[in-house]
Amino acid sequence: MAAQFLGLKLRLLANTFRRSPWQIVGVAVALVYGLAAAFLAVAALTGLRLADADVAGDIVVAAGSLVVLGFLLIPLAFGVDDTLDPRRFGQFGIPTTRLAGLLAMTAFIGVPALVIAIVAVAQVVTWSRGGGPTFFAIVSAAVIVVTCVLGARVTTSLAAFVLASRRARELSGLVTLIVLVSIAPALAAISSIDWQDDGPAMLARVSDAAGWTPLGAAWAAPAHAAVGEYGAAVLALLIALGFVAVLAGAWLLLVGRMLVTPHRESRPRSYARLGWFRWLPASTAWTVAARSLTYWMRDSRYRVQLVIVPVVPLLMIVILLISGVYWQNLALLPLPVICLFLGWTIHNDIAGDSTALWMHVAANVSGLADRVGRTIPVLALGIPLIAIGAPVSASAYGDPDVAWSLVGVSSCILLCGLGISSITSASFPYPTVRPGDSPFSQPQASGGVASLVQSLAFGATVLLTLPALLLGMYGLIDPQLTMRSFWVGLAVGLVVFVGGALIGGAIFSRRAPELLAFTQRS
Amino acid sequence: MTVDRETDNVLVVEGLRKSYGNVVAVDDISLSVLAGTIYGIVGPNGAGKTTTLSMVTGLLRPDAGTVLVHGANVWADPVAAKRNMGVLPDRLRLFDRLTGAQLLHYAGTLRGLDRTTVASRSADLAVAFGLEGSLGRLVTDYSAGMTKKIALASAMIHSPRLLILDEPFEAVDPVSAANVIEILQRYASAGGTVVLSSHSMDLIQRICDSVAIIVGGEVLASGTMREVRGFHSLEDRFVELAGGRKAAEGMEWLHSFSD
Repeated sequence: MAAQFLGLKLRLLANTFRRSPWQIVGVAVALVYGLAAAFLAVAALTGLRLADADVAGDIVVAAGSLVVLGFLLIPLAFGVDDTLDPRRFGQFGIPTTRLAGLLAMTAFIGVPALVIAIVAVAQVVTWSRGGGPTFFAIVSAAVIVVTCVLGARVTTSLAAFVLASRRARELSGLVTLIVLVSIAPALAAISSIDWQDDGPAMLARVSDAAGWTPLGAAWAAPAHAAVGEYGAAVLALLIALGFVAVLAGAWLLLVGRMLVTPHRESRPRSYARLGWFRWLPASTAWTVAARSLTYWMRDSRYRVQLVIVPVVPLLMIVILLISGVYWQNLALLPLPVICLFLGWTIHNDIAGDSTALWMHVAANVSGLADRVGRTIPVLALGIPLIAIGAPVSASAYGDPDVAWSLVGVSSCILLCGLGISSITSASFPYPTVRPGDSPFSQPQASGGVASLVQSLAFGATVLLTLPALLLGMYGLIDPQLTMRSFWVGLAVGLVVFVGGALIGGAIFSRRAPELLAFTQRS
Repeated sequence: MTVDRETDNVLVVEGLRKSYGNVVAVDDISLSVLAGTIYGIVGPNGAGKTTTLSMVTGLLRPDAGTVLVHGANVWADPVAAKRNMGVLPDRLRLFDRLTGAQLLHYAGTLRGLDRTTVASRSADLAVAFGLEGSLGRLVTDYSAGMTKKIALASAMIHSPRLLILDEPFEAVDPVSAANVIEILQRYASAGGTVVLSSHSMDLIQRICDSVAIIVGGEVLASGTMREVRGFHSLEDRFVELAGGRKAAEGMEWLHSFSD
């Protein structure tokens, strides 16, 4: 049985190279990346052999704890595809304990396990300064490898098991995104520390704390031994071994539970009323708008866009601030950028409906009503945003009059974006994430068309906004041009918006069955 | 009732064709369906049933042929033709992030119904299909049978003259299926017309007035149920036309059970 499981795992590994060329390139890049990281770690750990035991211990424990944390958290955050899910073996009648052992064993074959094994062995070199430390380092190496591999195994299954329901999956995706976004300020905070002076003390504090947690204990044991504190070394090793026992127990329990819990779906939530359909008029365009609004709030594909839209200008500001642009000028930047992305979000809206588009075709929804309905949610968000954002930005800039040109530029960019989107989504749809799939997954075969349409929609919007933008910028110097920027922006925006809705509507009416055929192909 | 050929045939399909590259999916199909009847379309997998019904409902553009619904050409005058049709397509998604009630409301208002009519009809449909307790839940959380039932309800909400239902009973439980059949029969006796496709020969034989057998994109037999099946059961007639039974030889290993 053990040979069969190992053979299965090796076959799975070999098969990763039997896919499309680009996937092979992806696997190869991951392999090279992993081995390069391992090589760097080996070089560093070997180099630390020459360092003072205190300093080496601080560095090894802090970095090692991060590595263990990564093994535990990455499967939880990204939901690694688990080809050896215990539930897949439920039909074969293998005793639970045996199955848990076999699956845990197969986890030791693979790139992550190889990388951590190399690092753990290199850590022995760091502590090869006398019999005691070397002994502890060798025992720790084994414990580290088992902790990381078993930990990743447990959290992978935990992710597959607990996040099985749709709602939980969507939620975890959003949480991951927010965490990733908040890493930027954290990195900024870290980079603001004066490493030259406070660095070593800071590192010592971190490793002292981490060394007594299950994450760092195994790394800390040989470090304690190296400075002669054998009692502390034994205690740290016991903590690490205890954690391994906890992981093993958790794994055993989890496999047992997973085998007898066939399908886990959270209790569906109930909505008592009609929501947006209740408040908006019952005409075709407004009904499409109500449906669209409901999707903006309920569908994770739309919600992710809502989270990303304010983040982009934030990142731009951080980057520009670091590169030394005066902050007052930056106050004028976020609003137009947010409007640019808002108008752009629906440039492929039809593809997002997938085959549900048949309802519009069967009911003969007019192209204009479909186009206008889809822009209403974005307008409902964008107009108040401009109304509040423009005066706030202008007063932050220090000249309230600038608000007029800011309104002109922002509404021009929003309306032009919506007008262009109305045309592109009807004439150049491209495959996108299907309803219910993770918003971070990539559809197959989107390829070159997708980026072409994306940049077309983006470029056309920016181009059409240039007159208002230039007038607005010169208005910063010559206040007479400020009002002209307002009127030009508003006029161009309205013309493009109405024109886009009319042209896109005509295209939709003419090509509705072809659009439906497109959604069925993709 | 006045006897007028033009209005008596609520659906007339003539010379419908569709091919994908070299593969001919639908080859010159013609049908006519009398008002007030239930018309069944049967055929083996891949015979072109769904392709035909998609072209009839205006969801798929045919290469050639005309479709008249109550005298209006689906592909030349879609406004009038589609108003008279209620559609249940096979294997297309619904806007499933809406609740059942919202989906019914959406289907109704897209068809031009006002708020109060939609509300009262939704309530009736929910009772008829046994969905009363589920209207507040998202359609994506529905089971396959419930999804089929809410789609059926959406097809009926604007009280069309003609219902085109592709596989309406797939995954639907027997109790709900019996309810749906009763609804369809009462609808037909009140002058409504139903065109439906199914794999269940017994069901088609039991409820349909007329039937067409489609194999390989062509109509092999059509007419009243009696004309098509003669003195055989519909299933026997169908199997005969569709190429006969394959002898089940060479599967003896299945009878020597492994331990």
